[in-house]
Amino acid sequence: MKTVIKTNGLSKTYTNTAVPVHALKNVTLEFKEGEFTAIVGPSGSGKTTFLNVIGGLDKPTEGHVVIDNVDIATMKESQLFDFRLRHIGFVFQAYNLIPVLTAMENVSFIMLLQKQSKREMEKRAKEMLEQVGLSDKLDIRPSQLSGGQQQRVAVARALASKPNFVLADEPTANLDTESAFNLLDIMARLNREENITLIFSTHDQRVIDRARRVITLVDGAVDKDEHFERN
Amino acid sequence: MKMLLTLAWRNLWRKKRRTFITTSSVMFAVVLAIGLMSMVNGMKQQMTRSIISNTTGHLQIQDVLYHDEPTMDHAMDYGEEVRGGIAKYEDLIAYTVPRIEGFCLASKEISSRGVYVMGVLPDKEDRMNDLSSRLTEGRMFTADDGFAVVAEGVATQLDLALGDTIVLLGQGFQGMTAAGKYKVGGILEFPLPEMNNTLVYLPLQTAQNFFAAPERLNRLILMLKDQSEADELVLKIQDELDQEWYTLKTWEELMPDKLAAFEARDAQVRVFAWVLYIVAGFGIFGTIITMMHERLREFGILLSIGMKRSQLAGVCLVETVFISIIGVITGVVAGFPIVYYLYRNPIPLADDLADTMIDFGLEPYMSFSIDTGIFVYQALTIFFIALVVGLYPVRKVFRLDMISAARK
Repeated sequence: MKTVIKTNGLSKTYTNTAVPVHALKNVTLEFKEGEFTAIVGPSGSGKTTFLNVIGGLDKPTEGHVVIDNVDIATMKESQLFDFRLRHIGFVFQAYNLIPVLTAMENVSFIMLLQKQSKREMEKRAKEMLEQVGLSDKLDIRPSQLSGGQQQRVAVARALASKPNFVLADEPTANLDTESAFNLLDIMARLNREENITLIFSTHDQRVIDRARRVITLVDGAVDKDEHFERN
Repeated sequence: MKMLLTLAWRNLWRKKRRTFITTSSVMFAVVLAIGLMSMVNGMKQQMTRSIISNTTGHLQIQDVLYHDEPTMDHAMDYGEEVRGGIAKYEDLIAYTVPRIEGFCLASKEISSRGVYVMGVLPDKEDRMNDLSSRLTEGRMFTADDGFAVVAEGVATQLDLALGDTIVLLGQGFQGMTAAGKYKVGGILEFPLPEMNNTLVYLPLQTAQNFFAAPERLNRLILMLKDQSEADELVLKIQDELDQEWYTLKTWEELMPDKLAAFEARDAQVRVFAWVLYIVAGFGIFGTIITMMHERLREFGILLSIGMKRSQLAGVCLVETVFISIIGVITGVVAGFPIVYYLYRNPIPLADDLADTMIDFGLEPYMSFSIDTGIFVYQALTIFFIALVVGLYPVRKVFRLDMISAARK
């Protein structure tokens, strides 16, 4: 299988604190196309920092992040904006939809930034909202959707631009059990059917139970990297 | 672009009250600024009209030395050169008002006092400043009459009544003695004491003969069809005249003290207006800061998912532009009827303020102007201030740490 992300000797130290904080220590990992990975670990173990660094939101202090044969650790900010837009999908704990746009417009938004044609954009947005079971909510704004529905729109948004992989930072943390299972079913199906690479940071056992790979971080270093056979 | 505009527009209405407060602060600033400048310009126009119609006219042709040394020796020749020069531009000139004038000693029996004798054509003066309307007794002379009309103060001080004779003695042209006696045929009343206590009017030709200066004038006033043509016309007529002998002056050159007074007052008003603008600017700024802090997390997210800083800054700027445009348009729409009403119905002044206005030869009303320039200038100024204030979120977006913003 093709390698989607490769990190090599990744370290991140925050020095703007009283005592330097080593959030990541020499993390070397590879993520293959179509993997469903959960990054787990206690609070402060470096899960979110790891996602931020491989998502190009933050720069490592040392090491490399190679995506599509490009080391994003050396990119300028302006290049990273474009890179993120074209290669990475994000799903956040608090959904983070644009409140003034409808579900359809939220999903189209990234494609719009990618300068896709209107026709293509509308077709893909409808398709993705249908995939997450919201084809009847196209013109509804986020405030009129439940938490679970909003997170499904966020997933549709993350996938609409056909990214190389999707980073999801605790996506089920704010959801009730039914909504969380519903969302996980959808994401697992998309992972299976469209071969989308998913990387979650999570504490949620429901997510961990679905993941085919579970990486445990402790104090910024990889403690365990386990693979499971799951449908 | 359309989506970014849509985003900006819808963002405005996320918090209707906040948008309403911000646009209202812009609107009130525009209304107040328009009202203030309309009043200032209205009063200035009123004073300028008064100066032009009562004193200087739009332009004057004089002997080149007369302005600095206003003696009868510098009375100009009102011959073919001047008549021909202005005839070429009669399409721009509404009418001309010839005057010969000078200080004299006036007496009746044993009383005497200094007066200012003005030789005028009554029909031209009436057209310019409605001189005849100031008559309180008798009648105005015609060009062919030979009697004098005196101001009320002069009549009182010399104990003159209609039919009495006033004796005038002064300096004529080139050392000649100006001496004459004239029947008093009318009495005029002026609001300004210096006019009311000094003016004696004679028919132009009578006065020219009195000053031994036939076919000569101290000034030929030009009243224009359009005041804005004045500067251009000065150059044109100047070319037609021998500049060794003649000069053209605008009312501003003739009344530099008044002009300086206007400019000083304009400066005071500008300071006041800028205080208004700054207050409005801080009103908008406060709202924008609140708006920014409420949306920092959203901005962090937008940047995280791939929106460029320049695009996000553009959305913020467009939001400010929308707020400013709405505020400015509603300000002009709200301000115009108020100013127009006041333009049509000037505010009457009372008591000391009214007396002061009358003393200056002005109608005791607070006038307003509806010049388009006032609306355009005020609207653009407030719009510009709102835009400058709107640069704050733009700057903030370019410096935003998207990770910490997204975590807020």
